[in-house]
Amino acid sequence: MSRTSIIALLIFGAILGYFLSFGPEKTRKFQASVYQLLAPFLSSGSGIKKQITSVRSGLKSLDELERENATLRVDNRQLRATNQALRDVEREVNRLRHALNYRERSFFKLVPAVVVTRDSSTWWRTITINRGKEDGIEGDMPVVTDEGLVGKTTTVSANISIVILVSDENCRVACSVEGTREQGIVSGERVATAVTPRLNLNFLSKQADLHPGQKVYTTGVGGVFPSGLLVGAVKSFHVRELDAQAELTPAVDLSHLEDVFVVTGQK
Amino acid sequence: MIFFALLLFFVLIAQVAEFFLPVLPWFYNAHIYIVPVIVFYGAVVLPLPLMLALSMYAGILLDALTVQVIDSKVEISLGWSILLYVVLAGIMHGLRPLYIRGRREVHVIMTGICTSLIILAQYLMISFRRGSILFNKQIWWQIGGPGLVALILAPVLFLFLHWLARLTGFPHLQARSRFE
Repeated sequence: MSRTSIIALLIFGAILGYFLSFGPEKTRKFQASVYQLLAPFLSSGSGIKKQITSVRSGLKSLDELERENATLRVDNRQLRATNQALRDVEREVNRLRHALNYRERSFFKLVPAVVVTRDSSTWWRTITINRGKEDGIEGDMPVVTDEGLVGKTTTVSANISIVILVSDENCRVACSVEGTREQGIVSGERVATAVTPRLNLNFLSKQADLHPGQKVYTTGVGGVFPSGLLVGAVKSFHVRELDAQAELTPAVDLSHLEDVFVVTGQK
Repeated sequence: MIFFALLLFFVLIAQVAEFFLPVLPWFYNAHIYIVPVIVFYGAVVLPLPLMLALSMYAGILLDALTVQVIDSKVEISLGWSILLYVVLAGIMHGLRPLYIRGRREVHVIMTGICTSLIILAQYLMISFRRGSILFNKQIWWQIGGPGLVALILAPVLFLFLHWLARLTGFPHLQARSRFE
């Protein structure tokens, strides 16, 4: 082995040792700095992806139009295409109006945010949003939509934050079941087996008799999530050896998130 | 050095691109990983010091962008991915003579296997942390699927990177004589 290689190995070992010595707080700071550094790339990537999706859906509509209206003249097709574009704008306006209404009628102080990226790894369910410390966001703040709970913030940099989704096994939420005194802990699965994730409500009493469709809300225990946020609805219920468990359908479609709100406090 | 700088750039771009690549729902939601393919190609063609630098860079990026810090707990400490990358890249580097002799299929297959090994190692680490280990069909596919995707991607990416190495006059292409 050459002298250069030995020196390289020694330097490598020293740097590796330095990184391995990082504690949680230092890791969080380092992670925040890297995300901050990459924020322009992530935002541009998000924009490009939206454009590609929009073009693809536009082409699909055009295909359908062509199939259905093979005999229409070119100007007629142009008008239909314009209508399609306007419908997209209308849908966008409706979506934003819906979000704004929710923000106004909510009991909480909400900071609106746009989802920049979705989870890129196999074992963790996270998203990144385009809000950070500069917008008053801190770690462990609940993230919601008008439909219910999404998750909580973890690492926060100046203007980008990581949100761990309620469908992650590590995001545990104390919840109660509508119309009962049953309380338990909701957590996600380690491996998502379907596009729509499944949630589990654990530590229920064996006597709990839950029915499909019953809604599950946060209890406020633990201090991170305020009480009364809708988490999901019971899909199935089964008794185990020591306790009972309910399978839930999340209230929010976590696979198609676009806009979310970060709860920064109460009004 | 131009080629090495390009590899660093491609690793960054690929790491960012992985955020936007959708999972494959028809393949048990397998993720597409491009970075390992680039790193393992680098491991084959770069000299040891640059291979170490590339592995460190990719490992830091992977850790910084995927590691979860919840409350006061880090699931996989910063640095573990560097260690994973360097061990696997070291194996690839050790098989470098085969690549130079033209047995490139070995490295393509190894790229697929090593990609899956990274995911398997991550799974074992989080299972150890979370206190329970579970292996079922879905989990095996989540581990093996990205490896198979990498196996398909590897020949194309290897060809592209090889062309780029030639274009930038990277000296490894003249290394053949040292091994024969």
